[in-house]
Amino acid sequence: MQLPWTKTQQTRPNTSGGDGDAIVVSGLRKTFGDFVAVDNVDFRVKRGEIFGFLGPNGSGKTTTIRMLCGVIAPTSGGGTVMGYDVVNEPERVRENIGYMSQKFSLFQDLTVDENLRFYSGIYGLTPEKYAERRAYILRMADLEGREDELTGNLSVGWKQRLALGCATIHEPKLIFLDEPTSGVDPTARRQFWELLNDLANEGVTLFVTTHYMDEATHCNRLAFIYRGTIIAEGTPQEVKADLTADTILQIAVDRGEEALAALEELDSVDEGYMQGSLVHVNLGRRGAEDAGLREFLVDRGFEVGAIDRVEPTLEDAFVHLVTQQGGRA
Amino acid sequence: MSWRRIRTLIWKEFVQISRDRAMLPILFIMPILQLVLFGYVVGSDVRNLNLAVLDQDNTVQSVRIVDGFTSSGYFTVSARPSSDAQLKDALDGGQAVVAITIPKGLGDAVRSKRAAQIGVIIDGSDSRTSGVAAGYAAGIIADLSNQFYGTGGAAMTAGGVNAQVRVLYNPTMRAVNTMVPALLAFILLMSTSNVMSQAIVKEREKGTLEQLFVTPIGRADYLLGKLLPYTLIAVAQLTLTFLVGVLWFQVPFRGSLLVTGGGLMLFMLAALGIGMIVSLMSRTRQQAQQTSMFLQMPQMMLSGFMFPIDALPKWLYLLTFLIPLRYILVIVRANFLKGSSFMELWPQFAMMAAFSIAIFLFGLSRFSKRLAD
Repeated sequence: MQLPWTKTQQTRPNTSGGDGDAIVVSGLRKTFGDFVAVDNVDFRVKRGEIFGFLGPNGSGKTTTIRMLCGVIAPTSGGGTVMGYDVVNEPERVRENIGYMSQKFSLFQDLTVDENLRFYSGIYGLTPEKYAERRAYILRMADLEGREDELTGNLSVGWKQRLALGCATIHEPKLIFLDEPTSGVDPTARRQFWELLNDLANEGVTLFVTTHYMDEATHCNRLAFIYRGTIIAEGTPQEVKADLTADTILQIAVDRGEEALAALEELDSVDEGYMQGSLVHVNLGRRGAEDAGLREFLVDRGFEVGAIDRVEPTLEDAFVHLVTQQGGRA
Repeated sequence: MSWRRIRTLIWKEFVQISRDRAMLPILFIMPILQLVLFGYVVGSDVRNLNLAVLDQDNTVQSVRIVDGFTSSGYFTVSARPSSDAQLKDALDGGQAVVAITIPKGLGDAVRSKRAAQIGVIIDGSDSRTSGVAAGYAAGIIADLSNQFYGTGGAAMTAGGVNAQVRVLYNPTMRAVNTMVPALLAFILLMSTSNVMSQAIVKEREKGTLEQLFVTPIGRADYLLGKLLPYTLIAVAQLTLTFLVGVLWFQVPFRGSLLVTGGGLMLFMLAALGIGMIVSLMSRTRQQAQQTSMFLQMPQMMLSGFMFPIDALPKWLYLLTFLIPLRYILVIVRANFLKGSSFMELWPQFAMMAAFSIAIFLFGLSRFSKRLAD
């Protein structure tokens, strides 16, 4: 049966599934009307890498992933995923990847077992393979003995691990994880990253988006996307390298938001932002002793605690990059 | 497209339906409820009307006339006034809605085959009841007239009532007979479009739709995986409605399953199309419910389902041509009760097919476009 929207696929010489990079993207662009969601993005992800794709909400992360998964077609440009062309072979792409989103979209009204059986049926696992994967996932997700529980009744950490299990039931060599840990408590996040590290050690490529900067340090390589454009790419060290000569101060002060606003007026302060309840300021190449920040704040009636020079974090790097783009993180 | 994936989707859909406390009642209680409500309330006949009898003749013939009224089941004698004034009181006081007066000498007139008259007085304050009562009375009197004088001798006339009324196909004028065939189409429309839109909106609400499209499931897989379960459910609902209608409400089925069933299947395309369109217009299940309700009203009113459309103002009447339910109602009623064939019903079939296919394809194209971005 030929339905109107099924694209006839021409057979192409099989260059797929080789040992090339897991993801190669060139000139990828997607517009929705006048809005440019992703603007000429290029990057590569090597096999076996944990690749972090970072950026604020609305910067084009999810749109990029959806194009790479062959769910939506790029406006122009393209790429290959596990050797398959995302524009011409979206179905092959989807057979060879796993995808897990922040919503861990399990069927809440299906039991743990039924969710597994569903995804096993979708990916066409043999009964033997299914039995093996089911046993493995139940153990991995710590759900042995809870096979008949409704997924909706599980707490977040279990749901998340089950979602990872469902997304990887067909043992893909590449997994996309779109903010997989958002809304999950720190313990569950740490456990989850242990699972991801295990997968990476087995040679699985992981493409992870997150806005938790501490998680970005788990990645082998990172790309920062901002307003649809990649503004930095490299290992965490490389991304921070720009900043290592800069002086970054961490200031404990009451009424942090107000203090930050005051500090940003100063010429000696290049960038500033809140890190929890602490204020981080980047003084560029200037020394800390020249700035006179303590006097400045005390004069304005703030109660100032410790001021320490700190090593630049990824978050500092991110704020720095965004400021250079003329925006606010 | 893969049959294995479609099968998995269908299995999943049925497991979900079986767990859904909101969906199950819609699927299986609603059709029964509608059948019972429409069958007994809307489709109920006016029966046991209170009758006042003023018999000034008191002969065998006059007693037979009263018997004729009471044995029909439509009338029960509630008052026996002895004068015109008392009779008027009975009507005014609401003890009776219909009164008959049998004048002195009626028996003699009948015996000597002379013309005779009885008076029928009807309380016209409830137009529906009075219209029906007038019809019944005319029928009963015509019947009696035949018994007294033999066919052809229409010498007995009732005051102001045309005794020539004859009701075709539905001689007892059981409203339920026209209601049950119509309900087949109506339940199909309501439940299919409603349930289908609910299922899709729910999937989008929960984010599972997004997940499905990063698996190898194609759009054709997904749509067939959605359409097939609800088609099967619709067939089950139709069978249930049909059986209850024929066995419980004793509606005679004189048509063919091919014409009625085929027409309904064609009409289901419109219902599925409407379901998809509603699902695109709604973000939440509640919205989908409200949108469905909003669309139900005009279809119910302008299709001839409850009220005849011939009496509508011209501009409203023209609108009814745009409602596919209108055509299927003609088809199921005509085929069900009269056994009308496809050849006789082809104009309705053609119009309905055109609309159903157009609505279905429109829904399908909008839907698959939405899935694409």
